[in-house]
Amino acid sequence: MVPVIVKRDFTSRVRSTPYIVTTIIGVLVFVGLGFAPAVMQYFSAAFGDDSLKLLVVDYSGEFAPALLEAAAENGGQGVQLETIPPGQESAAYQRVLDEGLSGLLLVEPPEFAFLTPDAADMARNSRVQRLVNQGLVRLNARQLGLSQDELARLFASADLKVRQIGADSSEVSEEDFTASAVLAYLMLFMIYMSLLLYGNMVASGVAEEKSSRIMEVMIAKVKPTELMAGKILGIGALALLQFAIWVGAALGTGAVRRAGWFGPALDWEIPLGRIEPALLAWFVVFFVLGFFFYASIFAAGGAVVSRVEEVNQVVTVVTMVIVVGFLAAFMSFTNPNGRLAVITSLLPFTSPMVMFARLALGNPPAVQTALSVLLLLAANIAGAWFSGRVYRIGVLLYGKRPTMREIVRYMRG
Amino acid sequence: MGLSVQNITKRFRDVTAVKDLSFEVDRGRILGFLGPNGAGKTTTMRMILGIIKPDAGEVTWEGMPFLHWGRSFFGYLPEERGLYPKMRLDEHLVFLARINGVPARDARQRAAQWIDRFGLGQYSHKRIEELSKGNQQKVQVIGALIHEPELLILDEPFSGLDPVNTAMLKDVLLEQNKAGRTIIFSSHRMDQVEELCEDIVLIHKGQLVLAGNLRRIKSAMGRQILRVALEGDRDFWRRIPGLILLGERPDYFEFRLSAGVSPNVVLEAAMEAGQVIRFELAEPSLDQIFIERVGAGA
Repeated sequence: MVPVIVKRDFTSRVRSTPYIVTTIIGVLVFVGLGFAPAVMQYFSAAFGDDSLKLLVVDYSGEFAPALLEAAAENGGQGVQLETIPPGQESAAYQRVLDEGLSGLLLVEPPEFAFLTPDAADMARNSRVQRLVNQGLVRLNARQLGLSQDELARLFASADLKVRQIGADSSEVSEEDFTASAVLAYLMLFMIYMSLLLYGNMVASGVAEEKSSRIMEVMIAKVKPTELMAGKILGIGALALLQFAIWVGAALGTGAVRRAGWFGPALDWEIPLGRIEPALLAWFVVFFVLGFFFYASIFAAGGAVVSRVEEVNQVVTVVTMVIVVGFLAAFMSFTNPNGRLAVITSLLPFTSPMVMFARLALGNPPAVQTALSVLLLLAANIAGAWFSGRVYRIGVLLYGKRPTMREIVRYMRG
Repeated sequence: MGLSVQNITKRFRDVTAVKDLSFEVDRGRILGFLGPNGAGKTTTMRMILGIIKPDAGEVTWEGMPFLHWGRSFFGYLPEERGLYPKMRLDEHLVFLARINGVPARDARQRAAQWIDRFGLGQYSHKRIEELSKGNQQKVQVIGALIHEPELLILDEPFSGLDPVNTAMLKDVLLEQNKAGRTIIFSSHRMDQVEELCEDIVLIHKGQLVLAGNLRRIKSAMGRQILRVALEGDRDFWRRIPGLILLGERPDYFEFRLSAGVSPNVVLEAAMEAGQVIRFELAEPSLDQIFIERVGAGA
């Protein structure tokens, strides 16, 4: 009987407007994430005038050459400097306003002033700040008698190579790490949202059945556990279909970007095409197990209320637990093998999110991974048993919501 | 043998909904299941169907526990709103047939036939929530019998139906019965019960009041109903002890004779009071039996 129920719960929702709309929005988000950097680059190049035109009044007479050198070393990059002899400040001031220049720089180390018609342009202010800093470094180096070579050594940066040791040793570049962190975060967020969204769908679906008397017809014909399993599987399939569409959109977008359409890939772009198959598999494993675990609890929650409006009150607690799991997973990102991460990745309530986060970023010991999956499986069985009983009793109790004590009593009976 | 309900009892918290209730329904019969609101009819039906477990007693069919007969053996129509509001009418019927084990192709075929029979063709692609109450009721009725069950248990099947559809449903039920199916239905409308049922069970406050063949019940009650029309002193009956006025209609009086009061006494008194136009001794209607047996406490 379960397939017939799965089919009903699936088809009656897959055609609903909210489902179609959220699926489309998700696709737009992924496509947008893929193209947004290129689009933004295009727009800022087209509209933002990022050349820097400065008039410099140097009272010391030493700073301006250093500043010019610094600007030249950066390849010019749209920086135009014009030195103005002291005494002509008011004329320069007027030129900045009349000719639409970036600003007037007044220099007498250690005092620097930047007069600009648009002081709110933070990006430009910080560019000027950087430029002035570089000039100052050069000036100071010259005064200390450092050669160009010595200067380069002074500011040489260390090239830190991070290497994973143990079972899965490989060199990770920082770029790769950031990219996979962003991806992992996105996927974690998808698990989190889906547990909430589809879990609530299970709860309100059960409550809806209960508030209409279809439950009587169904329960006379089908075992409560079959009914519950059918609903959870149907709604779970709904979630998986949505994921499949989204992942497809993400991979498609990634492929299009890598093919070089719409300009070259940018270094801060999210590498949508680079989802590892293993990670995708873990994603499915933890989503499916986590969803079944939570869905059975949500189903029991839906079964103890008698009106759809009451669902929220009951599921709030479950929702909060999911939020805690998400926060724990989020914190585990910074330290995937820390104590908090290890503990919460074993607890079935939080493990679907935390263990996934750990697998995405760190390399948790295989023992912990296996234990996490096993505990979650066990929790699934226990949850199904518990919820099946609550469900069986709850679905036919109308009127007053049963108290915890009554539920326990009925479960024994 | 048919259905046998044996000493079932159900308590909800401190309320006893059904108490030590027993009755039998012969195979191939139509049983009217009667009782005032809150008598325990729905609870009894739920216990028969195994939706709720009785605290005591058991229900058997042909001597075997009822639930051993499987889900497709009975059809059930709950009181109201027993449908998924968001589902399409035709898909809903197919779904209900499939739940009862009808293969997909047959299910679609039967759904189409019933939709046609009940004149629902123009609504078959509409969602249940868009249908009128009467049409929803029709869908529920079809849902209860689409898998051709041996036993039909219908809770208030006529509620919400207009006279035309009521007549049609009666025909359908008689037809189902003719095909050998056993039917139990509850109703508040005694005229419908009288028209359809050979047997009745009347319960009140969760206990059996009356059970058996309707005709025999009526004749056992005796011809105690007296209808008298006369031109003359309309107060004549007040002088006769043991004569209870049931109703004063524009054109006649209806009385109940207490035990030991002879109709002759009444006739004599009436003749003295004026010109007797009508004097009729009748069996009580089911309505009257109902009111008499449960009326005082209801």
